[in-house]
Amino acid sequence: MSKARFTRRALLAGAGAGGLGAAFAAPLLGEKLIDLGLPGGPSLRPLGPAFPGKGEMIVQRIRPPLLETPLKALGESVITPTERFFVRWNWDFPTAINVANYRVAVGGAVRQPVELTLDEIVSAGEHVEVVAVNQCAGNGRGLSTPRVTGTQWGNGAMGCARWTGVRLKDVLAKAGIAPGAKRVRFAGLDVPPMEGAPQFIKSVPIDIALRDDVLVAWGMNGEPLPMMHGFPLRIVVPGWFSTYWVKMLATIEVLSGEDDGYYVAKSYRMPAQPITPDEKDFPTVSITAMPPRALITSHADGETVRRGAPLTLRGIALGGDAALARVDLVGEGFELPCTLVGPDEGPYALRLWEVTIPEGTQSLANIGVRAANVRGAVQPDTLFWNPSGYARNVIERITLRLA
Amino acid sequence: MRALILILPALVLTGCERAPMVIFADSSITLPDDPLDLPPGAGVDAVIANCTACHSPSTMLQQPRLSREQWLATVTKMREVYKAPINEPDIPLIVDYLAAVQQGTEGQAER
Repeated sequence: MSKARFTRRALLAGAGAGGLGAAFAAPLLGEKLIDLGLPGGPSLRPLGPAFPGKGEMIVQRIRPPLLETPLKALGESVITPTERFFVRWNWDFPTAINVANYRVAVGGAVRQPVELTLDEIVSAGEHVEVVAVNQCAGNGRGLSTPRVTGTQWGNGAMGCARWTGVRLKDVLAKAGIAPGAKRVRFAGLDVPPMEGAPQFIKSVPIDIALRDDVLVAWGMNGEPLPMMHGFPLRIVVPGWFSTYWVKMLATIEVLSGEDDGYYVAKSYRMPAQPITPDEKDFPTVSITAMPPRALITSHADGETVRRGAPLTLRGIALGGDAALARVDLVGEGFELPCTLVGPDEGPYALRLWEVTIPEGTQSLANIGVRAANVRGAVQPDTLFWNPSGYARNVIERITLRLA
Repeated sequence: MRALILILPALVLTGCERAPMVIFADSSITLPDDPLDLPPGAGVDAVIANCTACHSPSTMLQQPRLSREQWLATVTKMREVYKAPINEPDIPLIVDYLAAVQQGTEGQAER
């Protein structure tokens, strides 16, 4: 997948009758396009316009922004540079923040509701740093077959950063959790423009909220969170999909019952058991913890490699909600263990891997990488298809040509 | 190896001995313009009037090829769940436009 073919020709073709959807979203003549390899298309996406503080990104949508990281960039380091980190907003968000007036309200099932200034948040407890993958629940949705509606991401709606903040439990302690608390819900400053539309609010079970590594974070890769990534504060839940990592945090609400909000009760859910695409009315569960994944980033599907020479493949992997245990290259009739290389930044970080295929021994058709974590979760060979394309972790395969 | 894995979480979570000063400064950004480029066709005005207050056209143009019924379901969801202020008479115009514009896009849908 993710054939990084930059094509001006395709863009110009789009100006003719019929046209390309992506081309109309990229009106600047000569603007670069990338082909995400989405089955059946439309597959071309513009690499512009530029967004503040961001480098070259795949622009899935300008407003509210949906920016994807090109896979090759994702494979260059364990820590994804902030300027290349994916961006996803459900609703418009403020483009200016006054820090003196900023407050985080902590309420709901608490002993004493409080409104905390940024300084009060920073001094709420020990400062904690965690390196963790932040991945959209719909990462890779555009690769689903049969296709499903929603943001048509390739596999670049993920990144790994060093997050700095205080523990959420220390912030909660400023208000005091009342007995019987079941969940903790977060709201940011991103709100829908239409009256009555659901606000993007998300909650986690109380035992997750009280984890030692769940943060109210202000730092991303040693710098203040950029506006695009949720300045001044966002939630960090290592091992869980980024839908819970609420940005521009404004409200923390302790719930004494279940969360009946739209984005927990109705959305971001997947079938409890595998289904076929024709099934309707099945029980669903919230998408929560991430499963393991691995991707080849050194080579794109369809690339040509030299015949008669050893071939080294490189890429990234994550264990999900547990440390990565191993990565294996799987091909037609062979498997090879991959070597984990580069820094190990902890159980929730990306890992880099590499593997060398000896010359002339194997077919390079349908080769993929399979990650397993220390809890025994292994990437499956077939897609767990679901109608919203969530939590994709099927083994991703590419075919290389010999020349 | 297993020991290493068990120790690491403790290492990465070790806080700083003394909390360093964190300074916040007012922040603002200017986001790029959203040019609302949609291919011409019957119903394009209805799409711009009813859909683009909340999101860029790319949201629609990048979907896999959908049937008229699937587009109707999507427009209905936008109206009922996300409260898009879509005028009822505009619904068939929007659905017909989106189905038609996909006929001109690259590739074939699988469903």
